[in-house]
Amino acid sequence: MKVHVYEKAFLSIGGGMLLVFLGALAFATLGAGIHLPDRAGSIDPQAVRTTPPFDDPGVREIAPGKYEVVMVAQAWSFDPAEVRIPAGSEVTFRITSPDVIHGIHVEHTTINVMVVPGQISEMRYTFREPREHLIICHEYCGIGHHYMYGKVIVE
Amino acid sequence: MKRKVLTGSLLAMGALLVGVSFFAIAQPLTVLPRMALAPGFVLTDQHGERLTNEDLRGKLVVYTLAYTGCGEACAPINRTMAELAARLDEVDTGGAPVRLVTISVDPERDTPAALRSAAEGLGADGQVWRLASGDPAMVRQVVGGGFEVFYEARDDGTIRFDPAFVVVDGWGITRARNRVGLPDVELLLDQLRLLGNEVRASTGVARFAYEAAHLFSCYAY
Repeated sequence: MKVHVYEKAFLSIGGGMLLVFLGALAFATLGAGIHLPDRAGSIDPQAVRTTPPFDDPGVREIAPGKYEVVMVAQAWSFDPAEVRIPAGSEVTFRITSPDVIHGIHVEHTTINVMVVPGQISEMRYTFREPREHLIICHEYCGIGHHYMYGKVIVE
Repeated sequence: MKRKVLTGSLLAMGALLVGVSFFAIAQPLTVLPRMALAPGFVLTDQHGERLTNEDLRGKLVVYTLAYTGCGEACAPINRTMAELAARLDEVDTGGAPVRLVTISVDPERDTPAALRSAAEGLGADGQVWRLASGDPAMVRQVVGGGFEVFYEARDDGTIRFDPAFVVVDGWGITRARNRVGLPDVELLLDQLRLLGNEVRASTGVARFAYEAAHLFSCYAY
């Protein structure tokens, strides 16, 4: 079979790229330990307000220097909308939605995740510097979407 | 000759791709995720004996939280634990023993004597199902820092906490955190069964299939 030289080059570059990306994927999962955020559990979206821990959302100190934020993202607010924690705290956010798909992004942090009804999103971040971070919903959730924001105050 | 090599390698790559895609999409095996290392602890059980996380190595452990002065509020948790204890012989855990541990979130008041009388009421034998308490700072580190469950004393002397059933495998790795409401006993038994499958497949070629299930996130729930 005669393969034209350009075609050969095209095929080898294409094949080479596949191998490079496959290798990068293997390195990311096995070597660098990068994973997509897993589901932290599921919940009946209609019973969010009566199921612990979401029946009592808020900020809690679970151990010295470790905080948990149990949050409900709903149309069109975050509950709690204001999170106050001391600098240097390791904070775990556990968040779910009782209505439609929302998102949460805490500015200047790596917290950036979708909030899907029926599922619980969990992420962890250590707030080192005292400052204010804006919390925004970044998933269009209806007419009041742009009013859906909150604050993390690191003291 | 060259053509044979080319065809052969293309076929091999195709077969690999189909195999991997089948494994990732059809998920012939499902496992529980390896979530995090379970916390280390030194607590005291209802007989005043030392209970550490190292004692529970090689065993599948279900941890839960309660306290003796809790009354009706903890009854559903204790009932779930008692039913689980009674039905443990329904699951094949591949020879790995199962242990149940109820950690007290009221360590100030839950002395071994208090735990002992509570254990008698619950039917906790001290072998399979043990009640444990300890130094309040240690309990805070284990329950709050390790299992990430919040608890605090209310003004009326009761303790506010969220129900949690944490399943830890024989390597001391947390494999399930049932902390949204109260789990069904069926669910807990199913989680132990899944861990049992992995224990049975921990030697030989089957081990690689289970490692692949972890790699491709073939999670049961």
